[in-house]
Amino acid sequence: MPVVLPPNVSEKNFQKALDAFAGVVGRQWVLATDEDRYTYMDIYAPGDADEHIPSAAVGPQSAEEVQAIVRIANEYKVPLWPISRGKNLGYGAAAPEMPGTVVLDLGRMKRIIEVNERFGYCLIEPGVGFFDLFAHLQERKIPLWMSVPANAWGSVVGNALERGYGYTPYGENTRNICGLEVVLPTGEMIRTGTGAMSNSACWQLFKYGYGPSWDQAFVQSNYGVVTKMGMWLMPEPEATLGLKMQLPNPDDVGWAVDALQPLRLSGVLQQNPSIGNSLRVVATQTPRSQWYQGDGALPDDVLRTILSKYNLGWWGIDLRLYGYDEVNEAHAKIIKAAFAKHTKQEFEVTKWHRGEPIEDSGAGVPATRALQIINWRGGRGGHLGFSPVLPASSEHVLKQFHSTKKRYEEIGVDYYGSFTLFERYTTNVNMMVYDRDDQAMTSRVRNLFKVLVADAAKEGYSEYRTHLSYMDDVALSFDYNNHALRRLNETVKDALDPNGILAPGKQGIWPKAFRGSRA
Amino acid sequence: MRTKPRFRSLAPFMLFALTTSAAIGVGVAHPRHPRPRREDDSAQKFNEGEKLFRARCGYCHLAGGTGTIMLGRRLGKDHALLDQRTDLTAAYVKTITRVGLNSMPPHTRIEVPDTELDLIAAFIARPASAHTPPASPPSTRATHE
Repeated sequence: MPVVLPPNVSEKNFQKALDAFAGVVGRQWVLATDEDRYTYMDIYAPGDADEHIPSAAVGPQSAEEVQAIVRIANEYKVPLWPISRGKNLGYGAAAPEMPGTVVLDLGRMKRIIEVNERFGYCLIEPGVGFFDLFAHLQERKIPLWMSVPANAWGSVVGNALERGYGYTPYGENTRNICGLEVVLPTGEMIRTGTGAMSNSACWQLFKYGYGPSWDQAFVQSNYGVVTKMGMWLMPEPEATLGLKMQLPNPDDVGWAVDALQPLRLSGVLQQNPSIGNSLRVVATQTPRSQWYQGDGALPDDVLRTILSKYNLGWWGIDLRLYGYDEVNEAHAKIIKAAFAKHTKQEFEVTKWHRGEPIEDSGAGVPATRALQIINWRGGRGGHLGFSPVLPASSEHVLKQFHSTKKRYEEIGVDYYGSFTLFERYTTNVNMMVYDRDDQAMTSRVRNLFKVLVADAAKEGYSEYRTHLSYMDDVALSFDYNNHALRRLNETVKDALDPNGILAPGKQGIWPKAFRGSRA
Repeated sequence: MRTKPRFRSLAPFMLFALTTSAAIGVGVAHPRHPRPRREDDSAQKFNEGEKLFRARCGYCHLAGGTGTIMLGRRLGKDHALLDQRTDLTAAYVKTITRVGLNSMPPHTRIEVPDTELDLIAAFIARPASAHTPPASPPSTRATHE
């Protein structure tokens, strides 16, 4: 397999760069065989994974090694694509946007530098996975809880940097970031917030520092390589109270959002619940062929049969209250009253108290079982997430739900959607699950994605995160004043990264050197 | 262009002498008798491999994990738990780890370095005589171990 080199880099210089990288990290941690390149491709890609093929990968063990690699990359003009653990599944996994980019794999940087129980935070490196941090807290009986995404194979830092989320009151992961250590594209190292003081006493306590606040400028960005992150963790509550309900009809999601949003805003409900269609649950547990083998999307009557067999509604809601027993009870009463206006159904109530098994608590407990959905269609499964952000109201939610479902049905794929409810907005994650061995289906999914981005943009909705192949499409929808924000982003990019070596094309931000690669 | 790897069938079933009663004596976890040095080495190697298997593969391949559930569905419950299998060769384990299989993504040499993969593969492919019955019913094992 011929190596796809970075644009404008000769084979000789590429080899020199790899040799220089090996001088920093050791030959063992410069990965440049065909097999290595394959392991960094997006195996769930909608189409040919070669579109985002890296030329090599390099794995530093420390921030100092990252600095040295970045300096070498500048010398040879070799672009780098930083990943934490490379598990950005559904959004491109470990692969770079621009083919030929060298993956800067931070997976060996796995130190949990500090966990502070009193102030509820940790300071960690990018290679620390959700499972690692969870085990660390559990083994030491530290009463702090994490916010964990549905598929928790990845990195705590990487997930927060991509604005992933979990389902506890600390569920908006990017909001928990407090203080970063960053290697800039020139190799210089900085610390954000009050970490900019060499003896800061509050680096992980006070987010803002003095003057402009930079933490969020390194989120979904290509302005630096985050080598340490401060992250707030939630104190273990005395008790939790769970409220579950199945909603029988497709349109029930509308009133449910209207009932819950004011309770999110006022703080009665402090976590962000996910209202998801029940087909997602069925798809993690059975193959589609068990239910339906015909053409087109799963017919409604087949879906009804499946749901009634499992006693599921069209949507499932899973709410959780965290805190003191009495307060949880009082809040549960308010939520029940809000739902009683719309349904005669009662919530299924569960309770957890400190000391009982954590799996039943509503804490973030890492698991990977959500991945099973990929096998729904058979073959080499692929999945892709289309994730627009909408105002949290029935008007927007119902319109978007029906229009997306119709688009899915037009191309014969099954609808899997969820609405995760924050105080003011809802993130609508729509999964597209396909068989990558079926080229026609994969190609239809690929086109569907572009149609959905355009549909959403017409309504004024953006995506909160997107796959590599659509980074430019989504960036294009941010068109106010003839894309003034993109001009600002790229002005900053060129100032910080004159050689354009860091993650060209990330989130549609292209450095001058590679701007011609914009889709 | 590289042909996309597609593994549809399992490695040929490997025949090992079934020495159930002896297996109790050479149990990896609880060796009961002094062993000749060479077997000590391999027991230690399997032990190391088991630890690494749990740490690197355990996300999905312990009881209750995604990989275990998928394998159970595809090949039956007897073939669901990788560390209980006696039909896998080390070469097969290594190949699948690097190229993936169905929904299982490939694993890089940074996530699982070659030296670790050698030990993991040796543990999975250990002879049937080195297998011990699970200490407790598999269903009680947490997936996050």
